[in-house]
Formats: sequence, C-alpha cells, structure tokens
Amino acid sequence: MLLEINDVSKAFGGLIALQDINFAVEDGETLGIMGANGAGKTTLFSLIAGHAKPSQGKIILAGQQIDGMRPAQISALGVARTYQIVRPFRGLSVLENVAAGALYGSHQEKSMATANQMAHEILVDVGLDDRAGQPAGSLTLAGFKRLELAKALATGPKLLLLDEVMAGLTPSEVNQAIDIIESCKQKYNYTLIVIEHVMKALMRMCERIIVIHHGEMIAVGAPDQIAQDEAVIQAYLGAEK
Amino acid sequence: MDILFSPQLLAAALITGVLYALISLGLNLIYGTMRLLNVAHGDLVMIGSYIAFMAFSLFNVGPLISMFGAAIICGGLGWLAYRSVFQNLLSNSEILARLEENSLLLFFGISVVVQNLVILFFTADRQGYEYLSAIVEIGDVRLTGARLAVLIVGSVVSIAAVLYLRFSLFGLAINALIQNRDASAIVGINVDRVQMFSLVIGFGITGLAGALISVLEPITPVMGFPYTMSAFVVIILGGLGNLWGGFLAGLLLGFLEIYGVAVTGPEWRSVLVYGIFIGILIFRPQGLLGRGRVAR
Amino acid sequence: MNNSLRLIGTAAVIVILASLSGLASEYMLGIGFTLFMYIALAQSWIILSGMTGYISLGHVVFFGSGAYVFVLLWGLVPVWLGVAISGLVVGIGALMIGYPVLRVRGPYFVILSFGLAELVKNLVLINEARMYMSLRPVFGAPPLAQLYIAMLVLAVVATALTYWIRRSRFGAGLRSIREDEWAAETIGVPASRLKLIAFALSGLIPAMVGAIFIMRSGIFQPGDAFNPIVSFTIVTMAIIGGSDDAAGPLLGVAFLVILQELLWANWPEIYMIILGVLLIGFVLFAPGGILGWCSKNLSRSKKNAA
Repeated sequence: MLLEINDVSKAFGGLIALQDINFAVEDGETLGIMGANGAGKTTLFSLIAGHAKPSQGKIILAGQQIDGMRPAQISALGVARTYQIVRPFRGLSVLENVAAGALYGSHQEKSMATANQMAHEILVDVGLDDRAGQPAGSLTLAGFKRLELAKALATGPKLLLLDEVMAGLTPSEVNQAIDIIESCKQKYNYTLIVIEHVMKALMRMCERIIVIHHGEMIAVGAPDQIAQDEAVIQAYLGAEK
Repeated sequence: MDILFSPQLLAAALITGVLYALISLGLNLIYGTMRLLNVAHGDLVMIGSYIAFMAFSLFNVGPLISMFGAAIICGGLGWLAYRSVFQNLLSNSEILARLEENSLLLFFGISVVVQNLVILFFTADRQGYEYLSAIVEIGDVRLTGARLAVLIVGSVVSIAAVLYLRFSLFGLAINALIQNRDASAIVGINVDRVQMFSLVIGFGITGLAGALISVLEPITPVMGFPYTMSAFVVIILGGLGNLWGGFLAGLLLGFLEIYGVAVTGPEWRSVLVYGIFIGILIFRPQGLLGRGRVAR
Repeated sequence: MNNSLRLIGTAAVIVILASLSGLASEYMLGIGFTLFMYIALAQSWIILSGMTGYISLGHVVFFGSGAYVFVLLWGLVPVWLGVAISGLVVGIGALMIGYPVLRVRGPYFVILSFGLAELVKNLVLINEARMYMSLRPVFGAPPLAQLYIAMLVLAVVATALTYWIRRSRFGAGLRSIREDEWAAETIGVPASRLKLIAFALSGLIPAMVGAIFIMRSGIFQPGDAFNPIVSFTIVTMAIIGGSDDAAGPLLGVAFLVILQELLWANWPEIYMIILGVLLIGFVLFAPGGILGWCSKNLSRSKKNAA
C-alpha cells in the first residue's frame, strides 16, 4: 500500500468537514474522488499534503505516518499536489517555476543546470516548452493548469494529487489534459489521486472512484459500479437520505 | 505606589485612550475598506496640529473651533488623495495584487515628503500655544481646561463616529465593504463612493484629533510617527476592520501606556508601545478580540 | 568567453577602486566610502527583502546593533577582530529572533521590522543612559584609506553574495517564497529555514558596515546609529535600482549617493523630499525599478523589431 487513510476526521471549529474516512491506495493506482462542492475533497488533499492536521485518525505513506509533518517534509517524501485555484509563482518565468519544483520536492536536485534541464523536459511533456522564458503570470487559464501539473511533476512525486486540473477548460482542452496526464503517468510512474467534476475524465482515467458527500464516504468502487450506485444517485439527484 | 490609584492618572489614561481610539478609527476605516496601509496616518495628526496652531497664532481662533477646519482640510486631502492616486490604484490589477506592500511604501514616501515640507515651512522647532490652561477641579481630579475639553470632545466624537458607522446606512455599506469587497459591489453598493468617503472621513477624524492634540503637547513636524505606531497597535489589538473593538483597544492602549510609564519611567514609553506592538504581531496577530480573519 | 571577459572587467574595476585608496583625496575617499557603504547595505537588504518579499523597513537595526557591539568591544580586542565579532554577534542574534519575527507575513512584517528597529534603538538609549553615556567617542581608529578598503571589501562581498544567491538553488527557494509561500512549501521548499538563513545573512554584513562606519564618524550615538533615514535610504536605493538582482542596487546607490553628497549637508529636507518623491514615483510607475523598466522595455522593443 502506498497510502493509507485510517479513520480520518477533520473539524474546523464546530464544522465537520470530513468524518471517518477510510481507504487505501495501491502503488500505481489511479483513484478518483467525486463529490459536490464543499463535500470535503480539497480538505482531504490538504490533510494528505500536510497543509492541515487531521482532528482524528492517521495518514500513512509507504508505512510512515505523515500526518503532523510540515508540507515541505511531505513533499520531500514524494507527495505532490496541485491547486484547484492555481498558485503559480507569477513573477518568475515558467521555467523557473518548474525548476523550483525539481530543486526541492523529493528530487532535492542540487545543480541548477540539471534542474533547468529536468524542468525543460517536463515542459515539453505538458506542452508548455514554447513558453519557458515568459513570466508565469502571462499564461492563460489552460496554461496555468498545465503549469500546476508541471510544477508538481518536477518535484518527482510518488503520489500525485490533482485537484480539478480540468475545471474551466474547454472540451478539447480537457481531452488534451487527459492525454497529458496519462502519458506522464506512464513516463514518470506515479500513483494518482484525482478530484474532478468532469465525469468523463474520471470514468476514463480511474480504476476506482470514491464518492464523498457532506464529509462522509458514501461509496467506493469501479467507475461503472459507481455510476449505478443507489446512494450516489440519490446524493447527486438531491434526494434526502 | 499611591500614584497608581490617583484619579489624576486615570484621567490621563482616559485622555490618551480616547485620542488613540479616535486616531485609530480613521486608520481602521481606510485599511478596512481599501486595504491601504497608511503609515502616513500620524502625519495627519501633525497637519491637524499645525492647522490649529496657525489658526490660534494668526487669527486667535481656539482649537475647539479650528478642529472643524482641520477636519475639513484633512478630509479634503483625503478626497484629493483618492481622486488623484488611489482611485486608479485600486482598479489596477497588477498593483492590487501587492496592494498592501505597495500602499505602505507609497504612504511611507508621502510621509517623508510631508514631514520635510513642513520642516521647510515651519522649521523643525517645537511650537506650542497656551489655551484654557487654567486648572479645573472636578472632585479629586485636577485638570487643565484644555485637557478636560479634549477628553469631552474626543469621547463624544469617537463614540458618535462608532455609533454612526454601526447604525447608519452608510455605516452598513462600509461594514459590507470591510467584510467583502467583491460581494459588496455585486449587491449594489457603490464601492467607489464608499471608498472615497472612508478616506475623507478617516482623514478628517484624524485631522480633528490632531487639532485636539495641539493643546496637549509640543507641535513638531515629526510628532506624527508615534501616533502612526499607536494606531497600528490599536487596530491590530482590536481586530482589523473591527471599529468597536478598535475603540476599546484604543482605551486599553492608553491605559497600558500611561500606567506602564507610571510604573517604569518616561524613558520606557517608546519601549512599551513598541514592545506591545511587536508582542501582539508575533503572538496574537488576529487581535485580542478578533477571531483571526485578516492577518495571515 | 563573454563571462570570463566580464569577470576580468569586474576584477579590474575592483583593483582600480582599491588602488585609489593611496591616490585619491580625503574628500573623494569619503564619497567612495559612503558609496560602498550603501552598496553593501542595499545588497544585504536584497538578500532578505528583494528575494523573499519580506520587506524590511528597519534594516538599520543590524547596522546600529553592529555599531553598538563594536563600540562596546572597542579597545578590548583588535580592531578588525572587533568588526568580525560584531557581524557574528548580530548574525547570531538575527537567527535567534528570526523565527518568531518571520512568522509575521506581508505588510505586518514590514511594520514589525520598523517597530523592531525602534524598540532596539530605545533599549540601547536606555542602556546608555544607565551607564551615563550619551555618546561614546572612538579614538585612534585606522586612517580613512584603510576604512575605505574595508568598506570596498564588504561591498564586493555583499554584491557577490547577492549575485550568487540570485542564481543558486537557495535563491530559487527564496524567490518562490516571495511569489507564494504556501505554494512554495507545497513543492518542498523549507520556507521557515530558508527565510531564517536569509535573515541572518542579510544582517551579518550591515552589522560589520555599522562597525566600520563608527570608526569613520568617530563617535557612537544611538540616535544616529539607529537613524530610520538609513533604513529608508536603503529601501529607496534598492527599489529605484530594481530589487531582484545584484545590478539593481549598484544603479540606485550611485544615483542617490551623488544626490546625498550634493544636498545632504545644506539641504537635508530637499534631499528627503526628493527621496520620497522618487519612492512614490517608482512604486507607482516602475515597480521593477530602473532594471526592471529597462528589461521590460528592451524585450518589448525586441518583440516589436521581430
């Protein structure tokens, strides 16, 4: 098991964001996470990446307990995440953005030249190489989303957490994004957890899907199972439990 | 130790506290609605003081009248600043992204320019004038008439301003802006107008406070800076954008300062204010009353 | 090829500047001394504020503290050892207070940095008053020519340090913190640690500068050694020049030192007003400084030509 989430709950003050979440992710798997806005998906990523501490439960990465560690430590252990609301280093060039990932992250590359080379290769992979020298702030939304992915890839992740990298993209951009993610997965060989609203993407990419509703896991299974799950349909069609 | 229980000291603390409350109210409005870090705020106090001083020495008009002039002139400066610089600044997304830092550097520059202009016109010498210096006795408390007047006027104006901003429609609009700028525009608040008036009122109140202060202490071109610091202490203590909290925090700082100095000695005054300030920033950036919304 | 030429050119300039110490008049040496002093200070400021975006408005605190440590040591240890110890003591002090101070972010850090400088100034004032010292003379300092060389060394070291950091892994981490500290931590940048190192480095050189400055002025007064105008001048120089690389301060400092030389003695207010107006102008119209403005317009004209 690469990642185990054991009985994890998270409350902000009196508000319960996540309750008794339990699942495990195998090496090389692609896991999808579904749920309405505010269901707690992003909170789950924040817990795994170390931006928040679980109120209860344990998070174990490759046998090592990681909850309570600093985000930078967790990144060094090989967890990378992207942000739904993109967070590029706007004042740096696109290449510098990605190279920063290679210099730190789990690569901890010491040589600037090597890091720039790695960054360049990743920019080719995500199709941003022609923008390498531009300031990151000048990209389009699709460009920002690719840059998020490239930055995360550059850290050399064992586990990659993608938070709605397709939201706001046009259908053809979504297809391109899926292609990029899949080809990169083959090349760099990481385990993937994706949060996505674009159902088509989830169905196409994931081996298993978890559904979170009001902070609780209501279903887990293969995509076609989930599509027919009673609880999921009720949750999505708005029927009360 | 008796001195600590004297009503004299209590009155002094109240006066300082009320003035801090008044000055920080202006800063709070400006920061709350526009996220402008006005480090030239104390210089408005200084300008208000000079206006009162000029009015007295040229026309023999007392500060209780000239304070309205100071408020109007400083309010006018606020209007001018908004129309000439900040209106554009607040609609420039590149600058808006780093607005707090940029506005701080900007006001810092303005502060230096204003102080040195005043030195050129009035020299760096201390100025002052005598006004209502006769002692008034109320029970055990002995105050100069000027200090009593400052206490009364300061309390009335600051409480009136807090109440007005809490209960009037315009106050509601300001509050909405403090809570959420974008949403305010969506629900139909004229953000531009509210921002302008916040700057005008914020500057005006501070100028008025400056006129009051002119009877209490010597007037110099650099007198404003300690007030800038105190105002920042107060609004961070009371919670940024929290007007009522700021009022209480102003009183609290006045008490801490006056009683602190009474215990330690006047040379510790700056150390106390800066020490409180640094302590709060480091240990309780969300303020004493606040629930930690703004400071990250 | 281009690089080695540039290196030789730089070395030649440094040698020429150094050899001036035996040739130039006292007056010229004095100007050179001030020039190098502000170069060293502005470069040090860049290491913290230019790279991480934690804008310090109180950098004089390092300068003044260094000077204070130095005068306390005066006569007890050899002069240059005293300078080194001053730097070290202040650097270690920065490491000790750095962690809580650097948790305060953005505009609050800016105000905090100013408050901290004022706090230290007042504490030193109180301490001096206790010891019945309103001012401390420093007798028997080395001649100006030596101080000139020492300051040149500090300026070169500070410039080289900034230049190197800007192009290093460390600098990449610092600059990502400036852009978005949260996102930087996400990609594994140990933000707290890097900020702390930058803070200490940024204080080390100004402390030594302060020590050498006291030998030149011959007297230590807390009000002068912790004068906020020094902080203000440093910030303005760096912002005018462009605060992301070592070349920026060189431009800004050269300009302002000449201005200071012309105006400071007779027209200090005019000097301050010009400084303020420049700061306002650059923040409003050229936030990248002269350097940023040039590169922006150059790339634009290149684009137009293509």
